Amino acid sequence: MRKKEYFADSEEASLLYREEFRDMKTEEPEVAPSPEKDKFEIIGKSTSRIDGEKIVTGRAPYTHDIKLRGMLYGKILRSPHACAEVISMDISQVQSLPGVKAAIQLKKGRVTYAGEQVAAVAAVDEKTAEQALKLIKVEYKSLPFAVTEEKAMEEGAPQVRKRPNVQKFNEYTRGNIDKGFKEADFVLENTYKTAVEIHHPAETHGSVAKWEGERLTVWDSTQAIFGVRDGLARALKIPASRIKVIKHYMGGGFGSKLGINDYTVAAAMLAKQANKPVKIILSRRENSLCVGNRPSSLQTIKGGVKKDGTLTALYLKNYTSGGIGRGDYCSEPVVDLYKCPNVQVEEHSVFTNTGASRPTRAPGHVQGTFALEGFLEELANKINLDPLELRKKNYSTKNQGDKETPYSSKGLNKCYQLGAEKIGWKRRNKRPGEGNGKVRRGLGVASQIWWGVGRAGTQADVKLHPDGSVEAICGTQDIGCGTRTYMATITAETLGLRPKDVTVKIGNTEYPWCGGSGGSTTTPSVAPAIRDAALKAADYLKKMAAEKLKAKPDEINITKGKFSNKNDPVQSIGYKKLIEELRKERKFRREKVFHGEYVGRPSGFAYNTFGAHFAEVEVDVETGKVKVLKVVGVHEIGRLINKITAESQIIGGITQGVSTALFEERIMDNTTGNVANPNFRDYKIATSLDIPEITPLIVDTVDPRINNLGAKGLGEPPRIPPAGAIANAVYNAIGVHVREIPMTPDKVLQALKRKEVD
Amino acid sequence: MTNFKIAEPQTIDQVTSLTIDKKDKYKLMAGGTDLLAEIKDEIIEPEVVVDLKSIPDLSYIKKEKNGVRIGALTSLARLAEDTLIKNEYPALHEAANSVASPQLRNMGTAGGNLCQRPRCWYYRDPQVKCRKKGGGRCFAFRGKNKYHAILGGGLCYIVHPSDLAPALIALDAEISINSPKGNTTIPLTNFYTLPKINVRKENILAPNEVLREIKIPLIKKEEKSTYSKFIERGTWDFAIVSAAVKGTVSGGIFRDITIVLGGVAPVPWRLTKAENIIKGKKITEDLVRKATREALKEAKPLEENGYKKELAEIVLYRAVLSLL
Amino acid sequence: MIETINFKLNDKPTRLNVDGERMLLWALRSELSLTGTKFGCGEGFCGSCTVLVNKEAVRSCQFPVKDVKGKDVITIEGLAKNGNLHPLQKAFIKHDALQCGFCTPGMILNAYSVLLKNPQPSHKDILQNMDENLCRCGAHTRIVQAIKTAAKEMIGGEKR
Repeated sequence: MRKKEYFADSEEASLLYREEFRDMKTEEPEVAPSPEKDKFEIIGKSTSRIDGEKIVTGRAPYTHDIKLRGMLYGKILRSPHACAEVISMDISQVQSLPGVKAAIQLKKGRVTYAGEQVAAVAAVDEKTAEQALKLIKVEYKSLPFAVTEEKAMEEGAPQVRKRPNVQKFNEYTRGNIDKGFKEADFVLENTYKTAVEIHHPAETHGSVAKWEGERLTVWDSTQAIFGVRDGLARALKIPASRIKVIKHYMGGGFGSKLGINDYTVAAAMLAKQANKPVKIILSRRENSLCVGNRPSSLQTIKGGVKKDGTLTALYLKNYTSGGIGRGDYCSEPVVDLYKCPNVQVEEHSVFTNTGASRPTRAPGHVQGTFALEGFLEELANKINLDPLELRKKNYSTKNQGDKETPYSSKGLNKCYQLGAEKIGWKRRNKRPGEGNGKVRRGLGVASQIWWGVGRAGTQADVKLHPDGSVEAICGTQDIGCGTRTYMATITAETLGLRPKDVTVKIGNTEYPWCGGSGGSTTTPSVAPAIRDAALKAADYLKKMAAEKLKAKPDEINITKGKFSNKNDPVQSIGYKKLIEELRKERKFRREKVFHGEYVGRPSGFAYNTFGAHFAEVEVDVETGKVKVLKVVGVHEIGRLINKITAESQIIGGITQGVSTALFEERIMDNTTGNVANPNFRDYKIATSLDIPEITPLIVDTVDPRINNLGAKGLGEPPRIPPAGAIANAVYNAIGVHVREIPMTPDKVLQALKRKEVD
Repeated sequence: MTNFKIAEPQTIDQVTSLTIDKKDKYKLMAGGTDLLAEIKDEIIEPEVVVDLKSIPDLSYIKKEKNGVRIGALTSLARLAEDTLIKNEYPALHEAANSVASPQLRNMGTAGGNLCQRPRCWYYRDPQVKCRKKGGGRCFAFRGKNKYHAILGGGLCYIVHPSDLAPALIALDAEISINSPKGNTTIPLTNFYTLPKINVRKENILAPNEVLREIKIPLIKKEEKSTYSKFIERGTWDFAIVSAAVKGTVSGGIFRDITIVLGGVAPVPWRLTKAENIIKGKKITEDLVRKATREALKEAKPLEENGYKKELAEIVLYRAVLSLL
Repeated sequence: MIETINFKLNDKPTRLNVDGERMLLWALRSELSLTGTKFGCGEGFCGSCTVLVNKEAVRSCQFPVKDVKGKDVITIEGLAKNGNLHPLQKAFIKHDALQCGFCTPGMILNAYSVLLKNPQPSHKDILQNMDENLCRCGAHTRIVQAIKTAAKEMIGGEKR
């Protein structure tokens, strides 16, 4: 049986993530949704965040900001060894320090990475808790370890887990790869490498736990309140019904906060022992060690193409390392993005003595797309074809990896067209590196496929009060994407009100159930559920209005706070007036709750999101320094719900992508077993001077059947292509592909030397 | 973080007496941008932090007949904004402007910048006891060393992180040191010491001494200077390679030239050999590159930092040519 | 050492009895319950904890509370006056210059200090001065737009 208790730290995180966010089977909806006919006034336009004022005034409460009466501060003792046996532990000295209220041992046996938690204390303040940690005596027997992939793959390397360090975890075949290579006019093989990244959300991970008798309340900086609740129930062996998890605001997660964490369990245990609330906030250093990372990859792609650009074969072999956890599935772009009859994949995980991986915004796809798109760029050059034409030539209308199922909607061609126009694709170097001078410019493109469907079973309520006020309620969480805002706009749109008329309640497990916010599932789950609830509320109001206007309910139109008769628009009644009359007539005296749900989508179609990014760069060929000048990101996401926040997500995805392409790399040291750069000085992240001019564009489409709004997700998509597009632009500028991210000056200089040899 | 007290002396002399009492258990703090981070990471564990900011009159930029005097507590921001420095000592102006970010420049001081500790990630790892911290080995030597020294290593491979130091050395700066034995003035270049002298320190400052003032001689006719810093990103960072160049130049020829590299060695690294090749000849890109290559023949790159040699050549020729 | 520290916090005289070595960030967040100032790294690298001391932006996680004696401290809670948002706050909402919002207070206060010194900064001035504040969601380009908008609105003083 798989151990699901610690989803976030599980060896299987990447597998569980796919099960939760990708392979979501749904029931056939009784009535297939047909959202295309709907015309909206607020949805699709820009609505400012309804919680903007709270945030810009510093009043939005984040988990870091929770302060309870009598609250203690917890700290975790972590293993300084990458691999060691805990021989003995003595926590008895701790209680002698005044102010210390609880201490627990968390580990027996073997620790398998530096940073693994071994004990925890709670004290009246943080300083005392830190001092208390020093009083814990742990005797370790240190053991040999391997913290880099290279070392772990060596023969005779220390074994990280109870089986060999290299484990095959994915295989895929369609057609016949050898036949494909034979049919090709050109065959090319290259290897691409991506570094381990750390999520580093602005708000470090943390939880506050408080017991009231048998009931536990936890405030958590999480992307998944119900996941944390259920995980806590399993870890503490208490019923889920006794646990409440709250998350008001969260300072970013990017996949590292998708499940139950061991420190949250520790906080609950310490709180129980001390009989007082306990708060544990991790440090930035801890964030670098033990709350996830994006697995590295070493991908060899071999592909065949005909002179006219038709792909005949794609083969991928991937070695990916997620520490003591599994690596990422990086093969989906190779399998699904382009039409290709013969595809073969094998993926291997490499265990190292480092913290377990966690899903990182577009897991596997960031790495896989960088490799595939780089490969296609070099392939296009080989046959002298415009790289964009190569992509269009192999356009696929079916998801070949998913049994050749036709896409419900796919707007990638439109993305290519809009993006190429906007960046001025014709300006690119016809031959890579054909320019002169010390500073050279180039253009590059990369495309993207992602999931982005909703989770069936997502529930939401719309509540009407007899005073006319309205609530939109869902147990989801706003992780920065504007969930609160679109819940208000959808409810308002449906009831003919303004977004500010709607009070939104989220972030509490006492509200209707919703899954974790990951995998671009939040909007396509929550939006249809809230729309469903709002439509039911609208039906009730229409019925009531119809009685007043002596019409049939389906003859009633709702717009701008008014109910009117379609056939005779002069006949109308305002929202407020209607409610007031109903109240006076004693027809509407208690709040009415309308329950909505997202039930699913028709089978027989593949539901995916698409996009294409175009980048322009400048490369100093003497120093190897890359400057990204422009990125145009075009996305097809079904119906657009809120323009301004959707654009923000695209801008954010590109910004993170620039950082991935140029700077981000967790560096492990094989001698000490430690992360060499566990801080923002040495783990380099792009900020304002590194950010290019960014143009977000959204293709205006509506998926005809995915849900009642025709909307798909947008969380991961814009994070996927930037690194590939930028690397391809560098190739176009200097005539050699760097094939490795981050493209730091030393690597660019090295690539330029390869060019001289070539 | 350990508990420490902050002492706020009113005069420099109080510092020396304060610190004599406390032996090794105190540290001097100027802007605090580096020291507080070291304490937080438990790399150092002082009992007393002596806050030099409380001493009045250590922040000034004064022009006198022999040159310019700069108080050690002068903020980097003030240095970066000063018109005199900008007009007469562009290398120092550029160096001050290249340090960290505006907020950190507000807090950081000239003296603090000269005395800051290395950024080596092994030194900064509280769990690692390297030679610089009294341990038995340098972890960078066979470890992750992309940012480490290509020159002057041995025992320890840190690079000196100061931006001001190469610029000031190129400008022939001197520093005044207050010590219980009396005050001394020495050329800044003599201030810095290689690991083989004392692996635990980067300079000659004794525990009870305070760097009080920086003095730069008046500029000569036709003297020009520049500081050029190569970093990996646009955002503030420590130098991969930097070059400070000063010389008197006319007609495309340097009559004299001083070249100091930063980011390549445990101390600011003077490139005398290159200076001699360049001096008196018509400057071309080729000449400077050849001179650099010649001077860097003694470099001994580690596994991952060979690219610094190439970069030094580029950074330097561009800096020299910019002065023509 | 516990000392009494008198200073002005968001225009109000404030007295604190604290360990003078405690960093301003924690004094604000704990003793004064002003949680708008955020902890992001505690090492002065990310800028989430930026506040103004005598109109200069400082990293409150690196600023001993003893150093605010007799000075003027402004935190995000003190920026709006009489219930009216500051032009920067309005512009951040208008341009959606945030996602998770965690870095936002520090961004706004750093921007405020930039505009106090240079009311009409160029694009490059803004980039160089905002460069030290990290936004992990990646809202930088919109933050720059917001600062430009606020600067325009502030011509001739802070209209609120």
